[in-house]
Amino acid sequence: MKRTLIILLRNPLSLLGVLLVLMVIVLAVFADFIAPFPDHKGAVVDFVYFNQAPSDRNLMGTDLVGRDLFSRIIYAYRISLMLGVVVLVISVPIGVLAGLFAGYRGGKTEFVLMRLTDVFLSIPPLVLAIAMMGVLEPTLLNAMLAVTAMWWPWYARLVYNVARSEREEGYVLAAEVIGASQWHICFREILPNCLPAVITKMTLDMGFVIIIASSLSFLGLGVQPPTPDLGSMVAEGARYLPDSWWLTVFPGLAILVAVFGFNLIGDALREILGAEQ
Amino acid sequence: MTPVLAIENLHLGFKGYTGYTEVLHGISLSINPAERVALVGESGSGKSVTARIILGLLQEVRGATIRGELRFLQHDLNSIGTKHWRDLRGTRMSMIFQDPTSALNPVFTVGVQFIEVLRRGSAPLSEAAALSRASALLQSVSINDPERVLQAYPFQLSGGMNQRVMIAMALANNPALLIADEPGTALDVTVQAQTLDLMNQLVASHNTAMLFISHNLGVVREFADRIYVIYRGRIVEQGPTAAVFNDPGHPYTRALMAAVPRITGGGIADIPDTSDEFLQPCVNHGSAL
Repeated sequence: MKRTLIILLRNPLSLLGVLLVLMVIVLAVFADFIAPFPDHKGAVVDFVYFNQAPSDRNLMGTDLVGRDLFSRIIYAYRISLMLGVVVLVISVPIGVLAGLFAGYRGGKTEFVLMRLTDVFLSIPPLVLAIAMMGVLEPTLLNAMLAVTAMWWPWYARLVYNVARSEREEGYVLAAEVIGASQWHICFREILPNCLPAVITKMTLDMGFVIIIASSLSFLGLGVQPPTPDLGSMVAEGARYLPDSWWLTVFPGLAILVAVFGFNLIGDALREILGAEQ
Repeated sequence: MTPVLAIENLHLGFKGYTGYTEVLHGISLSINPAERVALVGESGSGKSVTARIILGLLQEVRGATIRGELRFLQHDLNSIGTKHWRDLRGTRMSMIFQDPTSALNPVFTVGVQFIEVLRRGSAPLSEAAALSRASALLQSVSINDPERVLQAYPFQLSGGMNQRVMIAMALANNPALLIADEPGTALDVTVQAQTLDLMNQLVASHNTAMLFISHNLGVVREFADRIYVIYRGRIVEQGPTAAVFNDPGHPYTRALMAAVPRITGGGIADIPDTSDEFLQPCVNHGSAL
């Protein structure tokens, strides 16, 4: 753990990733203190300053109803991060459990769980999410549900593959020989060996979840106004390109920075944890 | 004297797509308390599956059909049920593997795994008590710095070290029977000799009976009290080690002995893959006791 951290911070690229992610997290957590116009996260109208280019007063300009873009981006980060965390916290355990049981038990369990996974995987993720959002109401909660529904199968498949190869390892046989229960073998022997792969994928996925959530709200299916969201901000501003460029460029950059940061860490983790195995 | 393990007329077959294939054709063997018995044969002859049947691991495999009597101490293994059988594993019977490093879980320290083994055996054990018992056991397998080894991960230790850890774990709960499936085949010869020597001493001091599975006749000759030679799922020769080595009665045993490469050179003997001679009935030299 300590070793992983040291390697992570020594490599300039992954250090950049760590810094970017830290910055995003700090912005999101302390949004109330950092944002110059905290009340602009809601439905505020200020036509004196509407559609202003970046200036001293508004670091990233203002939107069409005069709200400070910088403040709104900070609050949008809060939503994006929360969405990413909630989606992973729900979908990872489901996927890991399904993959673990399928990989360890084999036979009928494997057939049922993995074919179910295949069904979900066969539908393009965004299409599934759009369909779900079309049926349900477009709210933040439903956006989380939709993204979760398309996320767990990837973990099921990942853990299934790792568990499948780990169960043939000598230490699993050794555990059987000393009379360990199936529960023990599953959770205490095999699962810890799957975790490096899962943790790596989770870091990479934080970025992807943010992109998918932004895509959904870009299409008008995710978070609804006036709640700030990076995707809907880009969608709104796109109509006024190239004149009011700040409306699109800054939210877009904000997405880029967050996703880039998580991906850099994820890539570094993949190399570190992969080399350890 | 009741034997620790008695196998009578054991058959094993697998049902596959092509039909039923019999792998063991009625094996009988017995091991007395504190006796070291070797099961010798080429790969594929049925040595390892026999060990797995004794431990009750093959019974769970779909398509495996097992017939024959299995007695372990006072238990009839065919009638005790999986739960009870599992309770016997790791406490009354245990096993050492070919490749010690892969038999330890890479994500836990040796200490954590050792404590788990110890807790299986005796009544609830505090962590400190378990650790001090573990380090005493490690000392008995000639590990001079047990504290360091207990804190290390298996991949940080050498193969020889891991093998000693495995031996210490296997004997931790004073089993009545220890099965060693080609122990140390994955280690180099000098380390192998050391660990075998250690195992020999420990088995004697713990009064543990041992089933030693090997294809290495040199090791077997030094190590075993009694030998069973197995060929294609049949016992072809059995008897006290000296008797079998001095007067090998079965053509397959003779071929096996001729195949051992000699340090003085002289080429490797040519053994036919199969021969009608090898299927002759079992030669029995009687029991040592």
